[in-house]
Amino acid sequence: MALCAKKRPPEEERRARANDREYNERFQYASNCIKTSKYNILTFLPVNLFEQFQEVANTYFLFLLILQLIPQISSLSWFTTIVPLVLVLTITAVKDATDDYFRHKSDNQVNNRQSQVLINGILQQEQWMNVCVGDIIKLENNQFVAADLLLLSSSEPHGLCYIETAELDGETNMKVRQAIPVTSELGDISKLAKFDGEVICEPPNNKLDKFSGTLYWKENKFPLSNQNMLLRGCVLRNTEWCFGLVIFAGPDTKLMQNSGRTKFKRTSIDRLMNTLVLWIFGFLVCMGVILAIGNAIWEHEVGTRFQVYLPWDEAVDSAFFSGFLSFWSYIIILNTVVPISLYVSVEVIRLGHSYFINWDKKMFCMKKRTPAEARTTTLNEELGQVEYIFSDKTGTLTQNIMVFNKCSINGRSYGDVFDVLGHKAELGERPEPVNFSFNPLADKKFLFWDPTLLEAVKMGDPHTHEFFRLLSLCHTVMSEEKNEGELYYKAQSPDEGALVTAARNFGFVFRSRTPKTITVHEMGTAITYQLLAILDFNNIRKRMSVIVRNPEGKIRLYCKGADTILLDRLHHSTQELLNTTADHLNEYAGEGLRTLVLAYKDLDEEYYEEWAERRLQASLAQDSREDRLASVYEEVESDMMLLGATAIEDKLQQGVPETIALLTLANIKIWVLTGDKQELLQSLLVETAVNIGYSCKMLTDDMTEVFIVTGHTVLEVREELRKAREKMMDSSRTVGNGFTYQEKLSSSKLTSVLEAVSGEYALVINGHSLAHALEADMELEFLETACACKAVICCRVTPLQKAQVVELVKKYKKAVTLAIGDGANDVSMIKTAHIGVGISGQEGIQAVLASDYSFSQFKFLQRLLLVHGRWSYLRMCKFLCYFFYKNFAFTMVHFWFGFFCGFSAQTVYDQYFITLYNIVYTSLPVLAMGVFDQDVPEQRSMEYPKLYEPGQLNLLFNKREFFICIAQGIYTSVLMFFIPYGVFAEATRDDGTQLADYQSFAVTVATSLVIVVSVQIGLDTGYWTAINHFFIWGSLAVYFAILFAMHSNGLFDMFPNQFRFVGNAQNTLAQPTVWLTIVLTTVVCIMPVVAFRFLKLNLKPDLSDTVRYTQLVRKKQKAQHRCMRRVGRTGSRRSGYAFSHQEGFGELIMSGKNMRLSSLALSGFTTRSSSSWIESLRRKKSDSASSPSGGADKPLKG
Amino acid sequence: MKRISQDCQSGLPDNCAVKQQQLPAYRLQLSANKILSGFFATGVFCLGVGVILLLSAKTIKEVEINYTEKCANCAKLRENAANFDKECNCSIPFFLPETMKGNVYMYYKLYGFYQNLYRYILSRSNSQLVGTDVKDVRNCAPFKTSHNGIPIAPCGAIANSMFNDTIILSYNLNSSIHIKVPMIRSGITWWTDKYVKFQNPSFQNLSSAFAGTTKPPNWPKPVYELDEEDPGNNGFINDDFIVWMRTAAFPTFKKLYRRLHRIEHFTEGLPAGSYSFNITYNFPVNRFRGEKAVVLSTLTWSGGSSLFLGLAYVVTGAVTWLAFFSMLAVHLRLKERKTFFLQQ
Repeated sequence: MALCAKKRPPEEERRARANDREYNERFQYASNCIKTSKYNILTFLPVNLFEQFQEVANTYFLFLLILQLIPQISSLSWFTTIVPLVLVLTITAVKDATDDYFRHKSDNQVNNRQSQVLINGILQQEQWMNVCVGDIIKLENNQFVAADLLLLSSSEPHGLCYIETAELDGETNMKVRQAIPVTSELGDISKLAKFDGEVICEPPNNKLDKFSGTLYWKENKFPLSNQNMLLRGCVLRNTEWCFGLVIFAGPDTKLMQNSGRTKFKRTSIDRLMNTLVLWIFGFLVCMGVILAIGNAIWEHEVGTRFQVYLPWDEAVDSAFFSGFLSFWSYIIILNTVVPISLYVSVEVIRLGHSYFINWDKKMFCMKKRTPAEARTTTLNEELGQVEYIFSDKTGTLTQNIMVFNKCSINGRSYGDVFDVLGHKAELGERPEPVNFSFNPLADKKFLFWDPTLLEAVKMGDPHTHEFFRLLSLCHTVMSEEKNEGELYYKAQSPDEGALVTAARNFGFVFRSRTPKTITVHEMGTAITYQLLAILDFNNIRKRMSVIVRNPEGKIRLYCKGADTILLDRLHHSTQELLNTTADHLNEYAGEGLRTLVLAYKDLDEEYYEEWAERRLQASLAQDSREDRLASVYEEVESDMMLLGATAIEDKLQQGVPETIALLTLANIKIWVLTGDKQELLQSLLVETAVNIGYSCKMLTDDMTEVFIVTGHTVLEVREELRKAREKMMDSSRTVGNGFTYQEKLSSSKLTSVLEAVSGEYALVINGHSLAHALEADMELEFLETACACKAVICCRVTPLQKAQVVELVKKYKKAVTLAIGDGANDVSMIKTAHIGVGISGQEGIQAVLASDYSFSQFKFLQRLLLVHGRWSYLRMCKFLCYFFYKNFAFTMVHFWFGFFCGFSAQTVYDQYFITLYNIVYTSLPVLAMGVFDQDVPEQRSMEYPKLYEPGQLNLLFNKREFFICIAQGIYTSVLMFFIPYGVFAEATRDDGTQLADYQSFAVTVATSLVIVVSVQIGLDTGYWTAINHFFIWGSLAVYFAILFAMHSNGLFDMFPNQFRFVGNAQNTLAQPTVWLTIVLTTVVCIMPVVAFRFLKLNLKPDLSDTVRYTQLVRKKQKAQHRCMRRVGRTGSRRSGYAFSHQEGFGELIMSGKNMRLSSLALSGFTTRSSSSWIESLRRKKSDSASSPSGGADKPLKG
Repeated sequence: MKRISQDCQSGLPDNCAVKQQQLPAYRLQLSANKILSGFFATGVFCLGVGVILLLSAKTIKEVEINYTEKCANCAKLRENAANFDKECNCSIPFFLPETMKGNVYMYYKLYGFYQNLYRYILSRSNSQLVGTDVKDVRNCAPFKTSHNGIPIAPCGAIANSMFNDTIILSYNLNSSIHIKVPMIRSGITWWTDKYVKFQNPSFQNLSSAFAGTTKPPNWPKPVYELDEEDPGNNGFINDDFIVWMRTAAFPTFKKLYRRLHRIEHFTEGLPAGSYSFNITYNFPVNRFRGEKAVVLSTLTWSGGSSLFLGLAYVVTGAVTWLAFFSMLAVHLRLKERKTFFLQQ
């Protein structure tokens, strides 16, 4: 595996000769083995240790350890540091090792997949990792493409081949790839084995949609494009087999190039903690310097005289040097302000939170049986701080399933379900779906709820029949009939598939097509229409038409298209119908449905002949052929008769609108970055996206305005953005306090103005404009505009752009970003964002592998953020506050004591207490709080999304909070030292003996410290589970148990030099004075905290306090429960047109290129097809397909 | 607590309270009533304890006589290390205006003597002091061995610097009759110190037990001659030695020296009258600018507590009450304004 990663100079160009491994080896191209793991057995220890010591904290502790080994300055024994340090390093190493082990495993699994490679003229099974550049490999249906291949030939005619690119871009609709004509002949192995063409192409890159190269074969040059390439990660569909030449392998493939490097993610709290540790270190140095100066002065003034009783160490020759040593000694003593157990505890808490996510039943998807998974354990608290969510659309928000939902036929709307009383039925209480059993060809999966439509069809309503006839004729779908009556539609867009399927179920079954005919089963009878012309779809026309001649000889044009276009091209006689239909369209659009308007037009024979002639002329024209064709089309598609409209539901994932609404309420901004559908034209995608925006409740009609940016040049985009900003500012000027605003404008920057914009806006931008907007000089402008909007939708965004957008927000907004997606095209964004979430349970796993969290439904995001994230953040903050507090209280006592012990680095406590304080006495209660604490029950955090805000504003743990904690700690340490000091200075024990001996003092301070911090954790713990009780009381019990054990006679007898405190506990703690001192210290330390909390609750309660207390009221009054207001829908004039279609299929059909032999053979017949004919032909065809070596010789063309 | 579910990947996560974060728990809610009553109670408690402590501290009688300067001759003599074996006595008369009733304790008090220095505290050998290994002087730097390499017993800086003044209190009935006030020298140490922490090496003859060791440089005589009259008080288990070895926490400290033996004239305590301390002045304090004093004191139930604890309690109680009233005021005012805050 180590061989995989060889450093090579950057490639200038790539040369690969087919079937010539020797030649290709010269270039040392990467093999097809991929490596995502970081270590192997030998490199693990050094590399891992090196990585670990890059952590500031680890190095710091190593440094302290080294200091402690110097006897002159060692003021604590070495084991106080080394034990925890080794523990931490080991735990981290074990964790890294397990992670890497799994990476090795998944690498192996991928690398050992089998593929058929043509070696020496024979097809051989090879593991993926052994596939080399220049090999020819055979792929079969539904197989993953092993490397980036140049498609040579396939089972389909013309070397066509269908692929699904879900893994790459999350789109599940099929794409077509075609071999170049010369190689498409190479159907059998013997020919392929002789193939020795050489490909010269661009070096490996991450552009999924671009490829340029040249094939040199038989002294000819053939240009190659992306259209000829099969990329790794794609799946072959609807194609029996195909052959491909490996061009890029392993890490050079576009898939791997796109996946980018795994960056080590840190949470903002982590970063803050690192800063704070540095500050604390600075603080330590200051303390050390103060105490060292103190020591130097003391040694100079007093110490020199005291030498009779305690001569200086041999090494010390001056007070100054003594001070210098005492500086280091104090650094060692005071280091416990940041104990290493902080890092261990943080990790443990995060691990606990991760398990809570894994265990959460409410984030378990029953359907796919996938639980949520926290794939990284280090980011949990950041989930509570998310401000921006970047979401992929297809597969994440939507299921990429189009469903024929409603339609309007001749002024009547079908599709709404009414219950008995005539009210619109809500989801979930629907009656039985419509029964299509009358139709043997019906698709069983198709569901429709309104029985009146089927009744209308059965009644023979001519409009309804014409409506469905149109749907069954006007499309570019290919049908496949594997067995009699088992129809499979190969729709190139799911929209079309949905429409044709709807027609099929309502009795207008599109059965088969040839380049010149379309056969439709209309209510059981097969009718073959002559296909005269397909007026193909494109983004300017936004419509497509077919011209067919029915068996009676009548010529009719059927057209479907966008309402905005089509409604203008209707015959004036349909005005009334138009109005009702337009109302219906509005209604559909308001529900976020994708609408199409259907119309037809009768053409007479002469006109058609004449028009066809003109069309031929136009298509033969040399210059401006497109324009001339368009105008010819335009001419015929006019004065049409309105038939009705369809509404297709782009099926959302469950609970998406609710989730988005809730997250918006939680002040999280959601940006939708839609997929990488290169063939689709931009303006269209904008509409699709807007549509989804509406159906997701991202865009609502309450919004003041939706800005759509579709500029093609830098200037246009800049202008559009500027206009948007101006509009926003204008309205806020009119809405609000105009004069203060003016002042602001003059004094402050644009950003702050835009932050304060009132009203809700949304921004929709397409990929082309985005590319300009993301340029260095415009990115800020774009960001400002976008951030002032409530919702942002970016369409046709490349994977790289997705990452750029995320990066942009990360860079300037200093906000926590979360990216969620399901496809390989989301990988870069998932890796870039602070938190990456992958949708699991789908086919592609690239996104999940790159993600930090994965679950199978978008709706779980609300629970992940609002419940888990919020709690994690809350707990982590509480934990950190308390932790710093307790350690400052603990450590600073040494500082005060320094002034009474000649700054000699004498500790106040027994060294065992110092060792155990953080590990045993105080670790578990705070850990239990960090793992289990809850401020409000989980239902409340969903009910009051505003509770999420403190996390976004970083309110619970920031520098200010840190200083408050430290101040509290120092305050506590002052009392902890000076109250016992005041008491001990004069008092004696009740038997008259000395009370103020060092050991009794140590025990008194230690005991009151443990008690005070235990009381404090008791106050901080908001949610006292049995575990908290056990840990808090247990810690106190353990403290006293260990105290008495350490001070017992037995241990002293065994190790008199180690356990010097013999008898101390029982002698000291038997004194009433000592207990009175402890009680007083506790009271004085705790009371101000309680008072502050009380005042804060009274004067400035935060929302969670309020919710808690409202909770109390509610419990008392048993008041009515509050439910979330459903976001209502209103209808405004908006086009619901959206159609994910692409140009070019019409031509493909008319040329018959994508037709199989079977259909082509029928092309001559216009009569009703005989099934026996088809059967025999099909059998022939499938024979040849199953044995390509034999069948390939036969001519495939009809 | 963290059972890791085995079938986490395959199926539905367990529906147990821990995993679903639904553990039954008490939600800590500091309601106004709880806090306010807590403050009130704490105030009462602190004031009560404070008053009791103050009252009992008032009953304590204490006499402190600083004799650093009063025995100036001796002090001067001791400044020269060459005169270490010359004896020097001095007598300090004083008048006790009131009877000190009950048990009276005599302390010596040192000012500015740092028994809490890091290297000082460490400089002792417990294994030597417990009698197991008389020659174990590993931790005793800088007083491990004498110049000629013989291990010191007891070694270390603490032992070496032992307070060695002798203080005798005499009661002057009149100008001629001076009664030596009877004092007990035992029972001034912790039981654990005397019987666990300090043990003489087990030999018939104490001096032979310490064979092969030498006395600390500052000591006039070896450890086995500390109290030749009482074998239970000789060697390492000498009470004065043990008291000294329990190092003080602060540079100013007093250590118990003798207890009043309540017999004859002194059954009630120390009667009022004139007394004098007869001090054999051995311990030099001028070198480190220290001071020394002798203290006579009585005790109460809580020991010889000073006013500090009582005062601290009273102040705390008062402040708590003050806080209580101001919080009550704030709370009542806000309650009128119908805040969310709720009485329970």
